Amino acid sequence: MKSNVYSKSNSPNIFRKFLHWIRVTHAHIHLFLILLCGITIAPYLWALSTSLKHRVDVFTKTPQWIPNPLRLANYSEVFEMAPFGLYLINTMVVVTVILAFQLLTMTTAAYAFARLEFRGSNILFMFFIIQMMLPVHATILPNYLIVNKLGILNTRLALMMPFFATGYGTFLLRQTFRQIPKDFEDAAIIDGCSGLRFLYSVLIPMGKPTLVAQGLISVVTHWNDFFWPLVVSDSPNIRTLTIGLAMFVQQESGADWTLLMAATIFVTAPLMITFLIFQRKFIESFMSAVLKG
Amino acid sequence: MNRKRLLSVLLIVVLSLSLASGAFAKGLVRITYYFPVGLAGPLATVMNEYVDEFNALHAEEIEVVPVYSGDYDPTMQKVQTAVQGGNPPDVFIVEISELPTLLAMDAIIPLNEFADEEYLADFFPAFLENSYTADGQFWGVPFQRSTPVFYWNKDHFREVGLDPDVPPTTWDEVAEFAQKLVVRDENNEVERWGVTISGGWNDWIFQGFARQNSSQLIDFVTKSITINSPEALEALEFWVHLTQELKVAPPHSTWSSTPPDFVAGRTSMLYHSTGVLTFMKESAGFDFGVGFMPANTTYGAEVGGGNLHIGKGIPRENQEAAWKLIEFLTTPEMAARWSRASGYVSTRVSSYDLPEMVAHTTEHPEYLVARNQLDYASGKMMTPIFQRVREIVKTALDEATAGKITPKAALDRAQDQTERLLRDWLD
Repeated sequence: MKSNVYSKSNSPNIFRKFLHWIRVTHAHIHLFLILLCGITIAPYLWALSTSLKHRVDVFTKTPQWIPNPLRLANYSEVFEMAPFGLYLINTMVVVTVILAFQLLTMTTAAYAFARLEFRGSNILFMFFIIQMMLPVHATILPNYLIVNKLGILNTRLALMMPFFATGYGTFLLRQTFRQIPKDFEDAAIIDGCSGLRFLYSVLIPMGKPTLVAQGLISVVTHWNDFFWPLVVSDSPNIRTLTIGLAMFVQQESGADWTLLMAATIFVTAPLMITFLIFQRKFIESFMSAVLKG
Repeated sequence: MNRKRLLSVLLIVVLSLSLASGAFAKGLVRITYYFPVGLAGPLATVMNEYVDEFNALHAEEIEVVPVYSGDYDPTMQKVQTAVQGGNPPDVFIVEISELPTLLAMDAIIPLNEFADEEYLADFFPAFLENSYTADGQFWGVPFQRSTPVFYWNKDHFREVGLDPDVPPTTWDEVAEFAQKLVVRDENNEVERWGVTISGGWNDWIFQGFARQNSSQLIDFVTKSITINSPEALEALEFWVHLTQELKVAPPHSTWSSTPPDFVAGRTSMLYHSTGVLTFMKESAGFDFGVGFMPANTTYGAEVGGGNLHIGKGIPRENQEAAWKLIEFLTTPEMAARWSRASGYVSTRVSSYDLPEMVAHTTEHPEYLVARNQLDYASGKMMTPIFQRVREIVKTALDEATAGKITPKAALDRAQDQTERLLRDWLD
């Protein structure tokens, strides 16, 4: 895509020389990238193609990439089987609220761990790190017990509450904050800006790449989460897309491929489209998050 | 002080939320009903319809809240979480081999007081085998039930000069036919398999092979484990004969990939659940047959699917309401309706005499095969922590058909591992 793949000023000189030495040109690199791109995109295109096929055309001896005849009815059939529109709204609500709370809790917590000195801060931080290491499944039952005690089973709140704080995000952001030189803080204090104000006008803008990175991870994780929503929700009014998607995978008979793929395309499309629109921004953020981290 | 106030505000919000959802309506018994969907098709919608009809019949008295709970495994996990979390569902369907695990968790109540003999007499006996414990207590009512059957591609039979209407009836014939049906390219790579024994649930199919050799793998009531019996060994040796010596059957496959393989003509004969029959009819562009699984010393099959249970620790009126729902869902009329909508075998003997069922099975006689095979069928094997036993058996079967280990060593190891895993239960 860009002609300056390896001539960017921040890519190491030795690497460039090495590429030159083994006679790798732009064309080679582009060819390689196109190949990679093809491998990545093929399953998605295959899913899209399957979602537009008749059942008899799915398993032919020679793979059929372009469905003929085209069948759009798979999508309407999917919508008849479950209220996917409602599920989509529910998923968006859940994902957004979780993200909002996570941004709030992780910036304040990361600020405290990075900049404030208080008793037990190390031990507390260790707990955060341990939380990162616990597999999700180990926390399902305790979370369920708490949610049940609070009497909020089968509400949207139950879908979201266990994820309001994030150990991983806090850890990531704390590391980012710690790398911001103390001089900024000193300068800010001299100008009369301290505490939360300093967090808001200095640290957060400088930690933006990390926040975007964590935001992406959070949205994708909770968009795809299946088991927790399944366990705590009973009513279709609050259920999320993944539960609807599961209706098309059956243990006894295998999957109903055309419908399953139509549902999959629908479920993944919002994230896919969002990513395509904001692609450049996301990648920039990720790159700088990685380089700084 | 401040924190306390915050907490009480939170509590009030929470309480009003649950009030708003109408959980405390008066005089109405509200019960939750978890159900999995095991087969392709809009079965969740069908189930919601049935529940709506039930609710309309019992307006003012009972309200059933149907909860679609994923596949069998997620359903069991949801039940387990809910039971341990002190919020058991009133009625639920789980896979039949989960009964010992449910009992070990003390999650369900016996149904003897509800189910009288006349009611039970009309169920196919093989379907009832997964409902009883040694003390004669009755725990679950058969609902969505299936057995494996044998599918064959009639076009392929014609192509190699076999009579398209005569499937193999013995193991020897399976091997013989498969050798004729297999197609290899010039490099001796298989293009079309003669026969496929579906993987994934191959422990289930293997149990049928043990039956076909007049044996069984695990008996729950007598607590006997005979995975490495000579009869079972002979069955596994037959599998290895097909996969490794004759190379007419694939050594590996998955449960969901083999029906598509059959439909695409990549295998000529297939062992799979009767539950995929509707899928085959909709997807196959050729003529195919459905028959009994071929016999060795006898015909044999084992049942599968899900039973209805009532949760423990719920109020008496909920239990009674739950039973009313179960009764409603299992009348001969409903069993027939569910069978036609889903492709499952109807659980009630008399349902096959109903006019709509007679019409259906006259038009599509292949739906009768699984029912007729029930005469030779037995219950599905089950034990506590059955999922782990399954893994042990499946690993043994997979490694043997892949040629990594001899059938004898595989089954001896599975026997030993299972005995050790279940030693507390066996004592």
